[in-house]
Amino acid sequence: MKYDAVVVGAGPAGSVTARFAAESGAKVLIVERRREVGVPVLCGEGVSRKIDKWNMLEGKRWIASTMDAARIYSPDGTMVKLSAEMAGAETGYVIYRDIFDQELARQAVKAGAKIMMNTRATGLLKDNDKIKGIKAKQFDEEFEIEADVVVGADGVESKVGQWGGIETRLNPKDLESCAQYTLTNVECKDAYCDFYLGNEVAPGGYVWVFPKGKDVANVGIGVLASRSESGMAKKLLDKFIANDPRFKNGEPIRFLAGATPVAPPVETVRDNLLLVGDAARHVDPITGGGVTCCLQGGKIAGETIGMAVEKQQFDQETLSTYETGWREAFGKKLKRNYLVKEIVLDFDDKTLNMLADSLKDYKFEEISTFSLVKALVLKHPTLLMKLRPLMKISSEAKG
Amino acid sequence: MGKPKAKVDKKKCLACGGCISICPQDALYWCGDKASVDEENCTSCALCIRICPVGAIHGEVY
Repeated sequence: MKYDAVVVGAGPAGSVTARFAAESGAKVLIVERRREVGVPVLCGEGVSRKIDKWNMLEGKRWIASTMDAARIYSPDGTMVKLSAEMAGAETGYVIYRDIFDQELARQAVKAGAKIMMNTRATGLLKDNDKIKGIKAKQFDEEFEIEADVVVGADGVESKVGQWGGIETRLNPKDLESCAQYTLTNVECKDAYCDFYLGNEVAPGGYVWVFPKGKDVANVGIGVLASRSESGMAKKLLDKFIANDPRFKNGEPIRFLAGATPVAPPVETVRDNLLLVGDAARHVDPITGGGVTCCLQGGKIAGETIGMAVEKQQFDQETLSTYETGWREAFGKKLKRNYLVKEIVLDFDDKTLNMLADSLKDYKFEEISTFSLVKALVLKHPTLLMKLRPLMKISSEAKG
Repeated sequence: MGKPKAKVDKKKCLACGGCISICPQDALYWCGDKASVDEENCTSCALCIRICPVGAIHGEVY
């Protein structure tokens, strides 16, 4: 049986792509390496409330808790509070990613997509140089799946792009190495997502505390891979938890590892091939959050596939509607935030403390670049030098 | 005796895929639910060892 599209990976990007492709009439198969969609969870589980307006999820079962604001702590403990809207991608809901992913997969199936579990893509199926589908393996059985479009939704470790000639291998300075406990019996009373910065706390990354309701919280860490040593993420996270009184009587009910691309976006389209989600590096390089981009990008990818099926044209030019669409929707932001990440990574703890001290009383509701810079520089004039490259990016983004 | 090559402790690996995403030689791949090393391609750069968040990869002379 031949499909219009075969989607490699049943994470959020893969399922949303499959859903919108199927809804626009395409015959779609999702192959999933794992034995259960969404498991193991590999995520901090913080998501923006922005997803509400896209109406892609039914019910509330995937929501663990709703957050009012984010608190960012500098190395010396100075706190800056951001409202949920200002804090962006990772504040709003704390979710159950396994239920979340399964709900998105359910929507894809409802639209007509098929799912094949325990099935790994092992390569592309090619006729001369033309992509005709994928080679797959389920347990010990190897077989071929024919499709006009192959969608690489195969995560941070994506191979589909490389097989199709798109360089997706990550430089360690563009990867966050992560670990997270879900702790129970903790004392996190407020509806705040907390972020802790500092080169001692989490070199090139941060520690997060996301309350999940009752007395449960996700406590996790991301460390920049280029600054990591073997097992560093787990060791630093254990140290953080041991020193925080809120977790004194906490016990883990889950431990997981993660890898998050904080890389510039790649090209995502070739003849008969698309990349979505983490495979496309659709992750905010500052926060490491990717779910909103996955949903937005997946919808554009799915609709593009529907259009291509209607035209029966699957060349790069036809599929580039997707590339143009996501670059317009969130590509500029990813590019800008990557440049910001590169600059902020060089800030030492002293600079981070000065920044926090300047911003701690700032009313973020009335934000403007001018008033922000004024607030920063009045208090700590030396910040001006450090911030100059950031201001350049900000003015270029406007122009 | 050759240089030590990467080896994944499958009991410790939590399948985050980080090592697969950065290996300059494509020497890491999924074997079932865990990362695994193709020793033929491993050039002993130790990058995967350093970036593993849970310390599940170490060097071993095969």
